[in-house]
Order: sequence, then structure tokens, then C-alpha cells
Amino acid sequence: MTLEDFKQTIESLGTDSAQWPIDTRVQCEVLLKSSSEARLLLNEQVELDSLLQKLEAPTFLGLETRILNQDLPPRQQSLIDIIVDWLIPSQLGAQLWRPAIAACLPLVFGVLVGNFFSFGVTEQELALEYWDDELALLSFNDFSSDLDEAEL
Amino acid sequence: MTDEELMLAICKGDQPAYQAVVKEHLKPISHYAYRLLGNQKDTEDITQETFLKLWLNAARWKPEKSKLTTWLHRITHNLCVDYLRKHSRVQTQDSFEDTLVDSLDANDDKDIDFTQRDLNRDSEKIQILDSALNQLPENQRSAIMLCTVQNFSNKEAAVIMDVSVKALESTIARAKRSLKNIIHTMTNSGNTDELLEKKKV
Repeated sequence: MTLEDFKQTIESLGTDSAQWPIDTRVQCEVLLKSSSEARLLLNEQVELDSLLQKLEAPTFLGLETRILNQDLPPRQQSLIDIIVDWLIPSQLGAQLWRPAIAACLPLVFGVLVGNFFSFGVTEQELALEYWDDELALLSFNDFSSDLDEAEL
Repeated sequence: MTDEELMLAICKGDQPAYQAVVKEHLKPISHYAYRLLGNQKDTEDITQETFLKLWLNAARWKPEKSKLTTWLHRITHNLCVDYLRKHSRVQTQDSFEDTLVDSLDANDDKDIDFTQRDLNRDSEKIQILDSALNQLPENQRSAIMLCTVQNFSNKEAAVIMDVSVKALESTIARAKRSLKNIIHTMTNSGNTDELLEKKKV
């Protein structure tokens, strides 16, 4: 590992060696033992990080009160959000049965529609329509053997 | 109460739960917004809007996907970036680098030495660092704030900034080098006070 690689590692992954990938960590530790420049780089980075952590934002007087006292509007979810939240819930059990119910809905709808609407076709009409066909089909049967057995 | 319990309560319209979340997250959120926006008034507005969004969209937080603080920082980040874009205050990476190239050429790859110019006191160093941080482009400030100041992991910071982890690591490295260069320029130019005054103005 070169000094530049080490610099890149501590700049991008931080100075805490626990955050470095294991193979990189070993190489960094070897370099740190042998190179004073590497140790200097690490110390500078540690100092920079510790100074950054001391940065403070101004105190926002009254901001907490302002936020807590603001009028909170009622939450109005859109219909799609409500449907999606219902279909993909966070509870494990409901994750199974809710999509299953949703998948069954077209079937239930079909049964209901089929039950209540005839779409212009009645049973009586069906019987009349197909009676001639039924007679014709019966006439194709060979009943001679039955007759012979009856005569005997 | 855990974050999950608080958020479930907020989903049901429980205001005390909302107040508890506000109290817990107000400081880091306002600090982050302040670093991105750079002024108190905009910071207060964006922070307020962040918590309003939390109230309105509490049901959208998925605890299995991200921590509450990560989700809140992401909302704040998006609001800040939108705000800066609307007000044309986003300094792009290219433009930032263009302006720095001339002044930093001589100092490139030199390491910072805080002991120079009698910068012995921490507060003075922090003031210089504060000023230097404000000179970074928005994405580098975000990366530094999230990973170094607020101690998010690189993965969480990448989620907040909506970039890949590789891109984030590269941004942090660039940001730290830029910071060192700016501080080096400031401490070597001998007009630290002038720069700090400029920052205050």
C-alpha cells in the first residue's frame, strides 16, 4: 500500500480502523508501523475530524416552540396510497392474506355478475333451441340390439 | 417508546408522540439544514417543513428499510437541495473547482498544519474550519456533515444523498482535501481575520 492509497482510505472511510475493509486494515497497519508520514497523515485526519465534530450550529431560539405550536393539518391520504398501504402492509400475517383477497376479487365479481345477469339467455330458450338437435343425436343411436333382446 | 411505536402513534394522529419525535430530532436536523443553507431564517423554515412532512407522511416510513433519523435527514436533504436550486444557490462541483484551481495550485497536496500562525486555540481553528466548510459545494458539505459530524455510516449517508456508496466515498475524500487546501490557503495567506470577517458579513 502506498501513502496515497492510505490517504485515500482515511479520507473516504474515516480514521476508525474498524470501518476499513479487513484486507485494507492489515496493509494500513503495516504501513502505519513503518512510515512516520503515514502516522502524521492519520494524526492530521484525526484532528480534522475531531474539530469537525466540534462545529456547532447557532441556537435556534423558539424554533422548537414554533414547530410544536404550529397547526397540524389532518392527514389526508390519497385513495391510491390507502389502497397500496392496505395491499402491502408491514405486518407479516397481513402481507399474505391481503394480496390473496385482492387476487380473489375478480373471481367473486365474476360469480356475482354471472348469478345476477343472464345477458339475454334463459334456460327455457336454451332447451327449445337444442331440443331438435337432441332428437337428431338420439336418432343416430342403434337400438336394434335392444329390440332383439326384448323379443327374445 | 421506540421509533416504530412513536411513528405508529403519529399515524393515528397522536400529537404527544409527534412532539417526542420533534424534541429528539430537532437538533441534528436543524444543524444539518444550517450547514447546507448557511443562514438561520431558511434553516428554521426548512426544519419546520421537515417535521410537517413527518406528520403528514408518517405512514410512508418503512422501519425495515431505514432508521427514522436517516429518513428525516433524507427529507431535509431533499428540501434543502430543492430550496437551493430554486434560489440558484447551488454551486456545482465544476464551478467550485474552477474557482479554487488558481488559488490552490501552489498548495496542492500539502498537508494542513494547524500549529502555523499561532492558531493554538481550538475555537479559532473551529472558526476557520467553519468558514472553510461554507466554501465547499453543497454535495461535499452534505457528505462531510453526514459522515464526520453526524456519524452516519457511508451507506446511510449515500441513502440520504441518493448516490452510490462509491460516489459518496469519492465526494468525502474530495471534500476533505478541499477543506485542507482551503485551510492551508487561509492560514498561509496571513489574512485569517479578514477571511473570518468576510464570513461573518
